[in-house]
Amino acid sequence: MKPQNLIALLLFIVGAVWALTRSERSVRNIQSTYYSAISPFLKGGAAIETKASEFIQEVEHSKALEMKYKLAKEELDQKRMEVAHLRKLEAENTHLNQALKFQENVPFHVLAAKIIRRQPSTWWHTVTIDRGDKHGVGVQLPVLSPEGLVGKIDAPSKDTSTVILLTDEKCQVSAKVDGTPEAGIISGLRDTAGESPSLLLRFLSKDANLKPGMLVFTTGRGGLFPPDILLGKIKTFAPGPLFGEALVEPAVDFTTLQTVFVKIPKPLTSAREIREATANSTKK
Amino acid sequence: MSKYHFSIILLILAACMVQQFSPAIGGLFGARILILPLVFLCCSVCVNFSSMLVLAFICGFLWDAQHTLGAQGGDPTIYTDPVESLRFGYSIILYAMMGLLMQFIQPLFRKVKWHISSILTGIAIFSYLFTEYLLLNFVRGDFTFPPSVLYRIYLTSALTMLFSPLIFWIIYQLASSCRHNIRYEGLRQKHRYID
Repeated sequence: MKPQNLIALLLFIVGAVWALTRSERSVRNIQSTYYSAISPFLKGGAAIETKASEFIQEVEHSKALEMKYKLAKEELDQKRMEVAHLRKLEAENTHLNQALKFQENVPFHVLAAKIIRRQPSTWWHTVTIDRGDKHGVGVQLPVLSPEGLVGKIDAPSKDTSTVILLTDEKCQVSAKVDGTPEAGIISGLRDTAGESPSLLLRFLSKDANLKPGMLVFTTGRGGLFPPDILLGKIKTFAPGPLFGEALVEPAVDFTTLQTVFVKIPKPLTSAREIREATANSTKK
Repeated sequence: MSKYHFSIILLILAACMVQQFSPAIGGLFGARILILPLVFLCCSVCVNFSSMLVLAFICGFLWDAQHTLGAQGGDPTIYTDPVESLRFGYSIILYAMMGLLMQFIQPLFRKVKWHISSILTGIAIFSYLFTEYLLLNFVRGDFTFPPSVLYRIYLTSALTMLFSPLIFWIIYQLASSCRHNIRYEGLRQKHRYID
């Protein structure tokens, strides 16, 4: 081997070892810098995509009407989500067994975000949203839709964030089956390409009496997700030697998802700001 | 660094940007065109060994910066069985291995057998995705290999391979504009090759 190649090989090995031994925090910093650098391209691409779709839709609707419709739809989605959550709280209150938790389960603050890129990687189920650090989005925050839980924030950068979807194997959620004492951990399956995605609910009792159609909600345990967010409904149940496992059909249709809501610790400053942020999101 | 090598790095960065807009095709088992790996593979035929390693490092680093997932998070007493991910930096090694594969066929390229390089880009992409999936199974346990994964890997490789002549043409144009003569020497000594 030529000396030049040998030196290059040694330097390469040193570089590769350096990269492989980066800490979680260093990797996060690298990713944040990377995403900050490419976010103008991402947003530009998303804007072009939006304009193209708007152009097609303008045959039927005027641009102004379209904008109003989107704004109203987002508001309606947000209200529906809040109503769904409130209904669940009301039911719990009726049963008088969750009275103490009621205060914890008051409607939370959410930030509307638009999906600007779907499944950017081969194996992971992720999307990119147009909200980042500067909008108050932080790592591990739950992401919701009116239908139920979407996933959680994986890597926020300044302007954008990566959301790991519930259908990914790495997104684990503490879950319970409604109307039963059964609880377990739900996550996506390793690969469900070309099929409608299913979730796997593990660590159930092996003799659990679960029937198809039963609803699955978050338990609120584990410090990541709020309680009583709909995850899906039971498709099948299979008892195992130690634990039972159930296949769950997700409540959210991930293929048509366009707007999601990030649960943030507190609103930006006022409800008006959130509405403006939502409107800006739609305009982009 | 020559003007040619600098332009190759710019091409890599441009490919990284274009990759952002390459969607997964749902009807084809989520297959997509892997532009950055394709550009790297084509470039690795047209540069020497040391430059290939530099490109492998850049591409692997960018690839992992975009795709590496974060830690599981949450209460470890509840999430007792965390799902592992591939470490940041593994792609650097995989890219170098793919580049090495391409370096071995450089002499064939000299014989104007460019179509072999095009086919090999498909094989290299297939190997890359297959290895990546095996690694994923290794770190997460529970080996599974559903047919849909094989279709996805195969279709991604095939789709990507179709674009390799275009990338080779761009590289030739760059070399021509930089007045650079691409030498296909390969890693071994000249007399060992079959002419």
